Amino acid sequence: MRNATPRASLPLAAMLTLVPLAPALAHTGTGVVVGLQSGFLHPISGLDHLVAMVAVGLWGAQLGAPAIWTLPITFPLVMALGGVLGVVGIQLPLAEQVVALSGIALGLLVALRIRPPLWIAMLVVGVFAVFHGYGHGRELPQAADPLAYGVGFVTATGLLHLCGILIGVLVRWPLGEQAVRACGAAVGCVGLYFLLVAVGAIQ
Amino acid sequence: MKALLGCLAAALLWLGAPGEAQAHLVNTTLGDFYDGMLHPLTGFEDVLPWFALAILAAFQGPQRARWLLVAFPLGLLAGGGLWMVMPKIAYVSIAGAALIAVIGLAVATALVLPLPVTVALGVIVGVVHGYQNAQAMTELTDHLLFVSGVVATGYLCITLTSAIALTFLRGSGGWRVIALRAGGSWVAAVGIMVFGLQFATGTAT
Repeated sequence: MRNATPRASLPLAAMLTLVPLAPALAHTGTGVVVGLQSGFLHPISGLDHLVAMVAVGLWGAQLGAPAIWTLPITFPLVMALGGVLGVVGIQLPLAEQVVALSGIALGLLVALRIRPPLWIAMLVVGVFAVFHGYGHGRELPQAADPLAYGVGFVTATGLLHLCGILIGVLVRWPLGEQAVRACGAAVGCVGLYFLLVAVGAIQ
Repeated sequence: MKALLGCLAAALLWLGAPGEAQAHLVNTTLGDFYDGMLHPLTGFEDVLPWFALAILAAFQGPQRARWLLVAFPLGLLAGGGLWMVMPKIAYVSIAGAALIAVIGLAVATALVLPLPVTVALGVIVGVVHGYQNAQAMTELTDHLLFVSGVVATGYLCITLTSAIALTFLRGSGGWRVIALRAGGSWVAAVGIMVFGLQFATGTAT
């Protein structure tokens, strides 16, 4: 057999270095890590949940103190009650539709810059939180580690609120205010899409 | 110079000489202590309420927080001891989930508690968690070493977290309290849901 020349062996060596030496991760699908991962990804992987969470932060930032922190604190607490309803197997009617509706409503509230009294804002956010929590809670009993799942999805939800707040800080500038309202309109559009899907108008 | 090089070579030879690899500390009879130290860190059941309890202690101020550094580890020790006497107490895991919710709510509302209540809460959390951790022990486990490990981790967690939280709260800006309160609401949310799950299904997390 003829020896490979240096010219031929160089591309071969380069190709071999590109072959990834990935570790063989056997048995990673158990316990705390998977529970945490699946919980964390749950609110992020569903666009209808995601935009509504961001909208809560946007609205809080738009309303200013104390709503900027009362809304994101109210949401997870009430969401937990909705989660319990899902855990114990109580059937909430029209859950998917209300989640989609929350995107429309919160998006419109931001887009139209509606400023209700704080207790009404908390009530609106709380009602929607029950339905969002219900969606997450139904998955909880099947989780690899329910506590880790809960930690994951509550953390993801909180971080999405924080994203909304950080975007909402732009309201300090006139152009930023317009951008935040545009974000609200976009959230409303996404909510409308999911509502149409939920009622079967779009396949 | 030669002598120095000779000494250096001899030292290197001595350091490089084959010896026993003491990687497995279980053989040094301290393995159960390390097992106990690591056990609370293998999930969220312990560290989540411990961090929240430490933040709650920070809300009470440094004077009151110091009491918790004594009360909580003693509670853990008592809980471990309780398991040795009564190993089959029911509803301990449900009590643990309820405590997560209660402590989280207290942090979310930045509740300032009377000193006896703070100390009592620390002891109760300690007892419940000491008991829960002790449930992982087998007949072959050195109970004293294991429980001592759990107590050491609990003490470290509470001390370090409350110190960090106190330092954090001393900084300027009202957002610091809000950030910790938001964290408390997250803990409470997790506690409420896991409590609901355990109450509904009777499963022990």
